[in-house]
Amino acid sequence: MSIKKIIACERRSLGKVSKFQLPHHFKKVGWVLFIVSFISLFASSIIITDESLKSTIVVIVKYTMLIGLLIVSLAKEPIEDEFIKSMRMKSYMIAFILGVIQTLIMPFITLGAETIVDGGSTLKPVNDFFVLWVLLFCQILVFHVFKSTAND
Amino acid sequence: MTNSLKVERAILDLTQDDLAKKIGVSRQTINSIEKNRYVPSTVLALKLSALFNKPVNDFFKLTEED
Repeated sequence: MSIKKIIACERRSLGKVSKFQLPHHFKKVGWVLFIVSFISLFASSIIITDESLKSTIVVIVKYTMLIGLLIVSLAKEPIEDEFIKSMRMKSYMIAFILGVIQTLIMPFITLGAETIVDGGSTLKPVNDFFVLWVLLFCQILVFHVFKSTAND
Repeated sequence: MTNSLKVERAILDLTQDDLAKKIGVSRQTINSIEKNRYVPSTVLALKLSALFNKPVNDFFKLTEED
């Protein structure tokens, strides 16, 4: 297969992936999954006493929270037109930039805070769950703000 | 870019919602175009042109900034 054919094939595949979206009703499914997971996160720390089981459940619940937010993020609007798509793309761009900035800055903020409180600490990378949570939450929030201001 | 979409809509006695439904977009899209916050694609501009029965240049004008 020639290089041109490979590039054309890759372009088609990327085009399909970039257009992938879920139907609008998945937005509710995503929010329900997120809220149930969020409540379960606190409930598990109270109900479950076994530490190893608790840590396993916390990891699973954190993943389901992220899956819930991802479903909300990928769900279409009732009318998904070009303007909505442009706002969606802008919200992904802003969320991506904020996510990168947060990943770069947070370790230093944490180090500074821990130094003030404990008097010394080491530089630790940002938790992957926290990065993904901020990315998805920022995208959903920014997209919502864009949609709200479009009505004015 | 400026536009006279609001005037053209008024000539046809259409609300933003009516116009949005006729060309298959959301009301926010029409609102944002009218307020010059969003420049529509060629496809959408041609849909508007067909509906108003006028060339695109009649209701979309380039400004000096463009």
